[in-house]
Amino acid sequence: MDTATLPEPATTTRTLRVSRFSRDGRPPRFEEFEVPVTEGTTVLEALRWIRVHRDAALGLRHSCFHASCGTCGMRVNGREVLACVTDVASLGQGPVTIEPIANLPLLQDLVVDMASFYARFPLPPPLVRTSELVSASELPEGIDAHERFEDCIECGLCLSACPVVATDETYVGPAALAYAQRLLEEDRGADRAAILSWADDDNAAWRCHAAFECTEACPSDVRPAERIMALRRELVLHRETVR
Amino acid sequence: MTVAHSRPPVTPGGSRAWRATALSGVAVLALVTVHMVAHHFVVQSVGGLRSYRQVLEYIGNPVIFVIESLFLVVVTWHAMLGLRSVLFDLGLSETSRRRASRALAGLGVATVAYGFALIGILASRS
Amino acid sequence: MNPNDLDAIRDARRAPGPVLRKAPGPVAWFDVRRRRAGSVAFSISRLAGLGLVFYLYLHLAVLSLLLRGPGAWGSFLRVATTPALLGMDVLLLFGLLVHGLNGLRVALIGTGVAPDRQKALLWTVMTVAAILLLYGALHILGSR
Repeated sequence: MDTATLPEPATTTRTLRVSRFSRDGRPPRFEEFEVPVTEGTTVLEALRWIRVHRDAALGLRHSCFHASCGTCGMRVNGREVLACVTDVASLGQGPVTIEPIANLPLLQDLVVDMASFYARFPLPPPLVRTSELVSASELPEGIDAHERFEDCIECGLCLSACPVVATDETYVGPAALAYAQRLLEEDRGADRAAILSWADDDNAAWRCHAAFECTEACPSDVRPAERIMALRRELVLHRETVR
Repeated sequence: MTVAHSRPPVTPGGSRAWRATALSGVAVLALVTVHMVAHHFVVQSVGGLRSYRQVLEYIGNPVIFVIESLFLVVVTWHAMLGLRSVLFDLGLSETSRRRASRALAGLGVATVAYGFALIGILASRS
Repeated sequence: MNPNDLDAIRDARRAPGPVLRKAPGPVAWFDVRRRRAGSVAFSISRLAGLGLVFYLYLHLAVLSLLLRGPGAWGSFLRVATTPALLGMDVLLLFGLLVHGLNGLRVALIGTGVAPDRQKALLWTVMTVAAILLLYGALHILGSR
């Protein structure tokens, strides 16, 4: 088919209520924008349109545009999503409310401080996927200490969705626990006893109340809640070796 | 900003509380079924509730006495563990958590003691 | 950092600026807005549990009336067999079933038994609870 003859997608105007915050002493507030969207416009594209045409100061993070980096995690109409793969058209007819992910310190508008997210992990922060290491090249010494397991893109959506993290920030949260369980499952030579010891704590594996919001929110099929339960089974079965 | 990595266990042995909660919960489920059936579905009266005489006859039965005593201990234990879980979610400091655990243990012991006294007195009147 | 210092852990996880939560800290577990079935089950189960703790002590207080003899207990029964209090008995049954059966589900999945079937397990226990509640309610209220 000659693509030049394809009809242009219809453009409609949607109202986006975007959370704004600028550390000027004022609390976060909502600002509304009327944004032209077509059938395939994503939330991220709509936000970028706002930044180009309405307010260049709108703070948001994004990178890959295809749900691979996890940078554009935010809450849309109260649900944790990756903005780059969430179609505005799928969000009903009314105004679209966009907020930063919850339970992490707010820096600006839709940008949160991810240092607190990484501070929960039991080992140095996971940075590199094994598949990203080129076997032919000379690898930096100690790089394997920064390997992360494949599925998690560290978007923080699970932490945002978790009702226990919302209650008490000392809970390490789903991502860190899922990471710990994956270290055991993948058996990359990690110190099993140390990992189990770290997880066997009132602020770690035993704090989860099985709400399963993390699994619902995860865009990458990590299934953190199921991994936490698997971690618990490991702790129950091997508690004698842990303590 | 320096990223501080997660620390070694702060409140170690959390599995004990979890296992105790799960086990006591299963026991409570069984015992409360017996308790509810006995007190709402056996006696032919409004709501299945027992009269004074019927209560004394009921608690005077040695088997019932043991079952209800066990129920009292298990349900109180499970209740204290549940309250501990709710309190631990309030963001208490380490010291406050220890105090809360001790306070709940004391409350549990007092509750069971009172319950035993009550059951014992009623059983002696039967 | 002192590994036993929860305050230091909290400080390490703070940065300038507010932390947006779906509800203020200690009651965030209670906020079921925009939450899914698993969360709602957790919140209802926890509320039921707190209600049952309250009932435990109420029950011990009521049973203490037995120590005063048949007269005091009879007076209580006259109140306890009114429709309003029989309705409270049904509410008690609701709390027991929801907390007990969901607790059974949590005990299973929490020890790694079929966590990937947790939704199916949830609907199963809630269906069983509904059936038992209906039967119990009809029996309790119908005995009047």
